[in-house]
Amino acid sequence: MAGAKAHSRGAFLRLKSDDSNISGLTAGSCRRESETFQDLLHCLPGDYQDEGHYRDEGPYSDHQDKEPYRHRPKPFLARDWGPNLPLKNLPLSMQEKRSTRDQRQPQRLSIGCWESWRRSQLIARRRLWEQVSRAMCGMQPWRKSLHTVEGKFGVGVKAYFTFLRYLLYLNLIHCLFISGLALTPALLYRKNKTYTGFTGNDSVLDLLLGTGFLERSPVFYGFYSPVGLDGPCLNSPLLFLLAIVSLLILSVFMVVRRTVIGYKHTWMLRSHYNLHMSYKVFCGWDFCTQGPGAAKLQNSLIRNDIKLVLEEERFHQRVSQRTFRKWVQLYFLRGVLNFLVIALLVSSFYLIYYATMISKTMKHASWLLSLLFEYLPPIAITAVNFLLPHLFRHISGFEDYSLTVQVNITLIRSIILKLACLAIFLLFIHRNGNMVSDQCWENQFGKEIYKLVMFDFLAFGLNAVLVEWPRKLLVERYPSCSLLRALGKQKFLVPFHVLDLVYSQTLTWVGLFYCPLLAHISLLKLLLVFYINKFVLFHCCDPAQRMFRGSQSSVLFHFTLLFGLLLAVVALGINANAFNPSGDCGPFADAGTIFNVTDACMETLPGPAQRIFQYFTSEAFALPLILVEIMFLTSFVSQRQVNCRAIEGLKDMLVMCNADKRYLVKKHSTLLRALRTSVSAGNSENTGHMSPSRFQPLFLRSASAPSGGGAF
Amino acid sequence: MGTTASQLPKDLLSEYQELTFLTKQEILLAHKRFSELVAKEERSSNSLRVPMEKILTMPELKSNPFRKRICHVFSTSDMKDGSLTFEDFLDLLSAFSDSATLEIKSHYAFRIFDFDDDGTLDCRDLENLVNCLTGETDDTRLTPEEMRQLINNILEESDIDKDGTVNLSEFQHVISRSPDFVSSFKIVL
Repeated sequence: MAGAKAHSRGAFLRLKSDDSNISGLTAGSCRRESETFQDLLHCLPGDYQDEGHYRDEGPYSDHQDKEPYRHRPKPFLARDWGPNLPLKNLPLSMQEKRSTRDQRQPQRLSIGCWESWRRSQLIARRRLWEQVSRAMCGMQPWRKSLHTVEGKFGVGVKAYFTFLRYLLYLNLIHCLFISGLALTPALLYRKNKTYTGFTGNDSVLDLLLGTGFLERSPVFYGFYSPVGLDGPCLNSPLLFLLAIVSLLILSVFMVVRRTVIGYKHTWMLRSHYNLHMSYKVFCGWDFCTQGPGAAKLQNSLIRNDIKLVLEEERFHQRVSQRTFRKWVQLYFLRGVLNFLVIALLVSSFYLIYYATMISKTMKHASWLLSLLFEYLPPIAITAVNFLLPHLFRHISGFEDYSLTVQVNITLIRSIILKLACLAIFLLFIHRNGNMVSDQCWENQFGKEIYKLVMFDFLAFGLNAVLVEWPRKLLVERYPSCSLLRALGKQKFLVPFHVLDLVYSQTLTWVGLFYCPLLAHISLLKLLLVFYINKFVLFHCCDPAQRMFRGSQSSVLFHFTLLFGLLLAVVALGINANAFNPSGDCGPFADAGTIFNVTDACMETLPGPAQRIFQYFTSEAFALPLILVEIMFLTSFVSQRQVNCRAIEGLKDMLVMCNADKRYLVKKHSTLLRALRTSVSAGNSENTGHMSPSRFQPLFLRSASAPSGGGAF
Repeated sequence: MGTTASQLPKDLLSEYQELTFLTKQEILLAHKRFSELVAKEERSSNSLRVPMEKILTMPELKSNPFRKRICHVFSTSDMKDGSLTFEDFLDLLSAFSDSATLEIKSHYAFRIFDFDDDGTLDCRDLENLVNCLTGETDDTRLTPEEMRQLINNILEESDIDKDGTVNLSEFQHVISRSPDFVSSFKIVL
């Protein structure tokens, strides 16, 4: 029974999909399975009496001894071997089909025009549908690149690039919102069109620091001062606010949706995950593949997949062999290592605090030193963020988790580090009283974020150009040097790259309000990151020896993104509530607080509408809202429980079906083997035309045929 | 090549439609493609055999690791050289067509994977099969240890009667659960 259960899990295997997250049991496979089941039922001994009248037919006597194997029909078809089954459904060669037809000599149905047309229409429609769906898939950017990546480096690395593409879509939407709602009105309706572009004092450094011409450009908040649009409900501050708020809400929806779907996915797979190896081998090759390149790619795809599954299986075997003593040791070790991780986190937070303090107090005349001090907090953050994840990676190596868990745990620890660092940095900016007293503190804040974004990207680019590329060249140039050989080419470390993406996206969200064009910058940045990473991956990286599964990890990627988004929303919320907008710059210069803009719009509405809105925003509305939410939640929870029970029931049924089927197949096989031995005994006496070893035991008809003598 | 299409008599065409899963257009296209493999003066005869080497130059088969097996399975040649007549070729395309049933496809898949033609998939067959899938060169092959583990796994899952080999009904038992076997076991000209 246990074996049958394991077997039945195969059906759930197909749920796995690293990218699309489209779930749903394949109804087709279930149907097919039940059909096969019936087939099996039919070709079991009960049908033997029907076999008799086929025996003497010997339809293929002329070819029989030349290629006996080929000439045997399938047992499954035995039951409706009659005229009902179209000839084309027989696994025979054309000539044999003809002779079978002559044997049957039924009304020879010729294919009429109408039938022929109908069939070709059916096929044409199916082809069209396939083409359309393929074209839809083809519309997605970088599909080919992703496929190549998957083939060469496995699903795990592909999951990273898919995630990158998802972020790109997200930022594209951000760009559209910002451009449409904030940038266009600001540019179109400006009161004084004197945009002071470059002045004598500007330098390239401004591009890094966000000062000078950049500060006066639309990149920063200060540019979006209230403009000509003067409707009470259609003015630029309101549009600006609308853009930012709708963006954040949309992002929350998108990320939550993605996480929840993925979670549902892994939840369904959880504990039902079976490594259905024979399926991978028997159905692995896609016969549509053309071209040597594609074939090679598919080879390595299958190889990676098989290796991954074998690796996981070996790991589970090792886990099951652990003794109690080993478990205790392991848990102790894990406890110590977790403590170490926490200690490292705390000390790094202190380092950042220290750096921020120094940066604020030290002022230097020399531009280089002042630049250095300006950049000290970002440098500290980046250094910590660069070093600690590597440490975490090595630490997780000691903990003896499977590779997928190792990747995930490193990712979680590192994401806590990164986001906490960012949070601490933001907190220090807050604490810094002088920032709020600045002329345009929003610009200052935007600049800090801008610097972080720029520095992050610079570090990434320099790392690729100055570290990875020379390292690869050195390794290739001096293959004999033992030090270099030990160093080797780098491996593409997925968790770290994902971490970078999540971090930079969080930065974008945090800074969006104060530096609206950050969305555009990060779109550009993501594009560059994609191409640089692809280059690094293909030219400087070795494929990893060990693979890990992408599907669970991609859920975690989105989950960490949700973390980042929450941090951003909280930071923005605190900022909006704690500080009033500065009086001389930005869209809210005239209004006392950000929300005065909405109040002004509200006042123009008719009385009842105003009262309704007031009710919606008041505490009196909160109570019914919570009640309704609770109601919905309760119904969802109970629905979920019912569904769970149904799923369990279906699984049990599947197991039962499988057990039946396996029993029948087993019986079938033993029966056939018995027949085979009797046949081969009879055969050697009789003709000796074919050796028993060439006899195909499965084919019932042939098995029963030899009594007809002439067939062999 | 328009002239070659008319070489197929009407009744033969309709017979082919009856006996295969192919439509009229597909049969004509197959005929055209097949004629291209044959020298001009020989095109008239329907029972002409095209050697396997020529068949394998078709782009649809060229990079398929099972190409030789496919030819051998569908060949009706007495020499067992994998050469195909036009009707064999139609059989091949029919089995690999969109509309062929799962039964037909799984039957032929089994025979393609049965490298030694003994009617069951034993360890040697499975090893050959896996090598075809992962690539034949030394650095793309699985290690012997991995191969042993993999074959053990396959037999454990699929070999229901525990006789050490996978037979056709066991094979079809596995295939029947695969939702996309029908769509991947396909060659379209």
